[in-house]
Amino acid sequence: MPTDLRALVAPLKLLAPALVPSWNFFDVIAPAPRVEYALLASPGDASGTWRVFRPRPERVSLARMARRLLWNPRWNQSLFVMSCAERLAEDRTPEHSEAELFKRIAADLAAEPADPARPWLCFRLVFVHREGETLTEEVMVQPAPRRLAEIDIR
Amino acid sequence: MSLELARRLVEILLALALIQQSVEHLRGFRDERILFSARIVLAILVLAGVAGPWPLVGLAGLSLLILHRFQGPYNGGSDRMGLLILWSLTLSSLAPTPMLAELAFGYLGAQLTLSYFISGWVKVVNPDWRSGRALRDVFQFSAYPVAESLRGFAHRPRLLRAMSWAVMGFELVFPLTLLWPPALAAGLVVAGTFHLANACLFGLNRFFWTWLSAYPAILWLQGRVF
Repeated sequence: MPTDLRALVAPLKLLAPALVPSWNFFDVIAPAPRVEYALLASPGDASGTWRVFRPRPERVSLARMARRLLWNPRWNQSLFVMSCAERLAEDRTPEHSEAELFKRIAADLAAEPADPARPWLCFRLVFVHREGETLTEEVMVQPAPRRLAEIDIR
Repeated sequence: MSLELARRLVEILLALALIQQSVEHLRGFRDERILFSARIVLAILVLAGVAGPWPLVGLAGLSLLILHRFQGPYNGGSDRMGLLILWSLTLSSLAPTPMLAELAFGYLGAQLTLSYFISGWVKVVNPDWRSGRALRDVFQFSAYPVAESLRGFAHRPRLLRAMSWAVMGFELVFPLTLLWPPALAAGLVVAGTFHLANACLFGLNRFFWTWLSAYPAILWLQGRVF
């Protein structure tokens, strides 16, 4: 297919599952992705500490739940991050998903004091699933680190 | 309920849902702010009932750009339902004959019914859902519970089994509510409560507003067919 035509058809291919939906919500409980990230001194550095991206709070009050009915951008963004993690693990839109994950982690880190000794950002996708009665974690994806300062977060 | 009234109600509810979602994106990246600012303007025009059906056409066109931006829906099922509502409304508004307009809008009502029935069917054929194990998995390790404390539900298997059967039972019998208007009204109240619970426990606020905005379509379909 010519490139121009492919570019024209691509959004329609993304629209099709919405117009002819499958409605198979939660038919099976798939392994759940967790995004972890580390700041590194160099691309080959293995001394970085892995931190969970946006760990959930211990508790959320009923009042906060009610407010989130109308204003829930951070959680909805976290759900998009999970979608990107699943797409990346399944090798669907890998470049886009990887870039989105780097970008959103970097945007959160911009709010923290920078560590000049660790200018490289790395993330990994840990998938949690159940085997019998035991929960098992498996690192499925760990892309090459990127220099934090070069990630566009505007 | 007339087709015009039902369509107008869906337009208003969808416009409000789209504005709510779009405002959340205004604290996002620059390209998101541009796309969603445009969507707010178009949704306000729809809400005001100005220059119809062109704001709807604009929203439908913009939806393709947004799909391209995120390489798919931003928030899975809720965004897909929003697209289904938007495109059904747009096609119904542009339809050259009243019959085609009814077909496009009726398709939305039919899909809304299927959204419950098929969701129930794919669960009830899965032994993990019938035993309550699947819902335990949702609470125990899925990405959805909004707080760690909610994971404690995973240790209440009997409650989760009862909840699983309540959800599956409701979803499977939902199409039968079309046979009697009061039953449909009651069914929609139960369905709305279900979406509200999902919004509170799993942070799925977009599902709540999006599904609610399609309800006039099923009320109209019930009156038109039965």
